Parts: sequence; structure tokens; C-alpha cells
Amino acid sequence: MGEYILETKDLTKYYGKSRGIEDVSLKLKKGEVFGFIGPNGSGKSTFIRAILGLIIPTRGQAQLFGVDALKNGAQIREKIGYIPSEINYYNGMNAKELLRYSARFYKNGGLDKIDQLASRFELNLEKDIEDLSFGNKRKVALIQSVLHEPELLILDEPTGGLDPLMQNRFFELLQEEHEKGTTIFFSSHILSEIQRICQRAAIIKEGKIVKEEDIQELMKKQMKNCRLVFKEKTKNINLPENAQNENWVDNKLSFEYVGPVSNLMEWIAKQDLLDVTIEEPTLENIFMNYYER
Amino acid sequence: MKTLYLKELKRGRKAFFIWTAIVIAFTVMVLSIYPFMEGMGDDLTNMMRNIPDELRKAMGMDEQTWGSILGFYSTYFGIYIVLLTGIYAMSTGATILSKEEKEKTAEFLLTRPLSRQSIFTTKMVSLYTLTLAIIVLQAIVAAISFSVAAETAVDWGNFVTMHIHGAVLILFFTALGVLLSLFLNTKTNFMGLVFGIIFGSYFLNAISKATEETEWMGYMSPFNYVDFNVGDPNYSLNSWSIVVLLVLAMSFILWAASRYKNRDIAD
Repeated sequence: MGEYILETKDLTKYYGKSRGIEDVSLKLKKGEVFGFIGPNGSGKSTFIRAILGLIIPTRGQAQLFGVDALKNGAQIREKIGYIPSEINYYNGMNAKELLRYSARFYKNGGLDKIDQLASRFELNLEKDIEDLSFGNKRKVALIQSVLHEPELLILDEPTGGLDPLMQNRFFELLQEEHEKGTTIFFSSHILSEIQRICQRAAIIKEGKIVKEEDIQELMKKQMKNCRLVFKEKTKNINLPENAQNENWVDNKLSFEYVGPVSNLMEWIAKQDLLDVTIEEPTLENIFMNYYER
Repeated sequence: MKTLYLKELKRGRKAFFIWTAIVIAFTVMVLSIYPFMEGMGDDLTNMMRNIPDELRKAMGMDEQTWGSILGFYSTYFGIYIVLLTGIYAMSTGATILSKEEKEKTAEFLLTRPLSRQSIFTTKMVSLYTLTLAIIVLQAIVAAISFSVAAETAVDWGNFVTMHIHGAVLILFFTALGVLLSLFLNTKTNFMGLVFGIIFGSYFLNAISKATEETEWMGYMSPFNYVDFNVGDPNYSLNSWSIVVLLVLAMSFILWAASRYKNRDIAD
């Protein structure tokens, strides 16, 4: 252990008898953008809370920056920026006061960056925390996470409540952080978010890591839900290779496709269509897909 | 550390000012009615005689009690001031850690670069700053009111002893509040519990004083170990009780610290 920014070995947490996470072993290299994907309740937040020292693991180890996460928590957290999945701040403060309060805990507080980041995310700093909408609280959290120039960003479902424009700005910010060499641990249940920014990802299900691989690999294996509306009602069509679960309703066809996207597009181009929708399947489908093959 | 300390004082300021105002107003009120009571002289002594012995003992009064301003003040101090201040201090103790979890701000606090130990220590220092401040402010106001209201010499030695006894009880309850909060669900309504414990232990002691048969009940109450009966000619500092109560308070805090260190913070 030592060369990784984050390294866990058989990290396990039980809440009484109920499962939190089981034997999670992960390694993150410096500068990597790592995705952590799984459905709600799969243990993503438990893992994050364990490495941040909010909960005490039942067994296993977690090291950050080469030192034990529990013993050296204060020193480690100096170098971490964290966006929790649920944001709760002290009432009776406005956004600016909260950001300043947070910044004062760090050696390198970054007080001077508050205004610039607030205008970038169009956040009104004078508004009281309790009057902020969900999305605006999220902006406070993401500004707060980068103020002290952390070396590791831990993001737990960080885009919830942000509109698409703000999500874009947020991803731009992450890209800048990545270019600066910041390591990013991005937890989400939305696959497209992970694909957008991560190089490698781990899939967690029921507290266990089921797969860890390159995003490119994941995308190749990724299933698409296709819905086509034909001009005329036809049933004598050969579906492309790797299509499954076809279903016809009048002139509408739906199927699932796993394979090279280019083949699919070629096939679609040859059809006589009114409309086409290709979308990401639900996570549940992806998992099903994983187990079937 | 300093950031958190100042923030804690700021967060606690509203409750602190309200409770301090209450105990100070009460002190001033009690001492300003004394001159009228004193004027009632014989009537009062007769009235005292008519109170049943058991009740008088339970209230910690005897015939001399109302003969001096200090005696008069002591009956109010022992009941109201210590109880009110105790309720304030114990409920602050019970919520200073648990409110972070109840209000879900614990996650923010614990992901700052602070160790659990330094969070705990800072919170305890703020808690005892507030507790000692209310105790000292009340005592100062009482002393000033005495100087103004008393027509005869005040036994300042007994005044100080009585306030030390009160302070020790309050410090004890404060520590008990902190410890309890780490054993109970953070969503507990601590105020009810605090009222129950403080009034409960007060009445246990009061009942135990009334008759010999109930004496044993007093051993369970911290009120039994320090007294406010300044009318007693042998009234003096109960040093051993003070040491024991303070050592207990200290061990409650240390126990609480070790529980806090190994605690899962609720989401």
C-alpha cells in the first residue's frame, strides 16, 4: 500500500445485522477519474462514509494518501473535497457565511475564490441557506468542495437538483480540476454521467463490487433501448445482430441492442422510419445484462 | 478549533441569554422582596411553626431560615436557581453533540479537517464556558443584590459555600447530559428527559429528608450530597462530596469522549 491516492482492502460495514458493504477493495491512482456506479441502496454512500471516517468499518482497511483513514482523518480531510448526496447546512447563515465558515477550517481556505465561483454557478450568496432551493444548495456544496484546492474530490450523486446548464458547468469545472491533477471519485446511479467523465468505473450491487473496468469496455457492452416507428406496418424485418427482446405494437418496434453502435446505425439508416429513439437502459437492465452474459 | 469554538458560542447565545436573564431576574426578584418579608417578623415565625415538620425538612427550612437574608435566599437558591440553571446546562450538554445529527449537519462538521477528538474537546470547552458563565453571572448579580438589600452583615463565607455547592451540582448534571446523549437516539426529545432527571433527583432528595423511613432514597440523588441549609450553625463545604461529584462528572465526560470517537454518525 502507499502508491495510491485511495486504497481499500476488504472494507466491510454492517449496521447491526444489515449489510452496508462487503469486502470492497478498490485502488485509485493519482489523477484518475473513477466512477462508482450502482442503484440506490447498493452501498455507494456507505463506502464513501467509511473512507471519510463518518462511520467505523466492521473490518477491512482504508488508506488515503498512503495513511490510515481512521487514524489520520483530520490530516486526510485537509486534502479532500466532498459533495454529499444529501446536503444539509446550518440554518441561520447565508450562503456566503457558510462558505466562509467552511473555508476557515482549512489551511488553504480559498476565501478569495468564493465570489468568482458563485458567479460562475449563478448563485446568490446573500440568500439564507434555508431559503435556497435544492439545486442552489447543491451549488453551495460544489463551490465548498473545491475552495481549498483538494487533491481528491469525493462526489456522491453530485448533480442532483442541477439543471442541464449547471450540470454542464459543473462538468467543465471537474474537467479543469482533472487537468490540474486532482483525483476524482464520482459516485452516481446515472451511467451517462459516469461515461462522460470517468476513465474507469466499478459497479457495486448489494454491497459488493461486481465489476471493475474501463469505461470503453463498459460502453462496448452497454445495452441500448431502441424504439422505432415505421411508416408502414411491417413485420418481415431482419433485426440487426445482437438485438434481443423485440416487441411489436402496430408500426412500433422496440428492442434491446448490445454491440457496436455503428452496426446499429447502419441498420437503422436502411429502414423507412418516422421516428427513432435510442436510450440508455435503466441500471437494472445493465445489471441483468451483466448476469446474462 | 477556534472557528468551531466561536461558532458554538454563537449558536448557543440565544438560549444562554434567555436562561441567564431568567435566573438573574429571579435572583433580583427574590432579594427585592426580602425587605417586605422581614417586616412581617412574628407573623412569619408563626407561619413557619404551622408548616408540618416533614414539609419543612423537605424544603430545607428551619425557624432560623427566614431570619436572615441569606437564609431566605438559600431556600430559593436551592430550589429554583440550581434547578433552572441545571436544566439549562444539562439540556445544552445533551444537545451539543446530538443536535448536529438531529439537524443533519454532523456530516458537514465531520468532513472538515478536524479529528473527532478535537471536535469533542472544542464542544466541551464551549459547553463549560457557557455553563460557568451563567453560574458566575448569577452569583455576581446575587452578591450585588445582597450588598444593596441587606441591612445586617451577610455571612459571605456561607454565601460562597452555597454557590459552590450549587455549581458542583450543575457541572455534574451538565456532564450527565452529554453522556446520556451518546447512549440515546439523537432524535430523542432531551428536554423532557432533562426535566425528569433534575426534578426527579430533587424530589427524591426532598422526600428522603422528610422522614427517617425514606432516608435511603436520598442516596440516589446528587442533591443529597451537598446542602444549601445555611441556617445550620455547622454549615460548611462538603469537600468529599464535591470531589466525588466532580470526579464522576469528569469520568462521564471521558466516557462520552470514547463513545463519540467510535460512533457511527447517522445520515
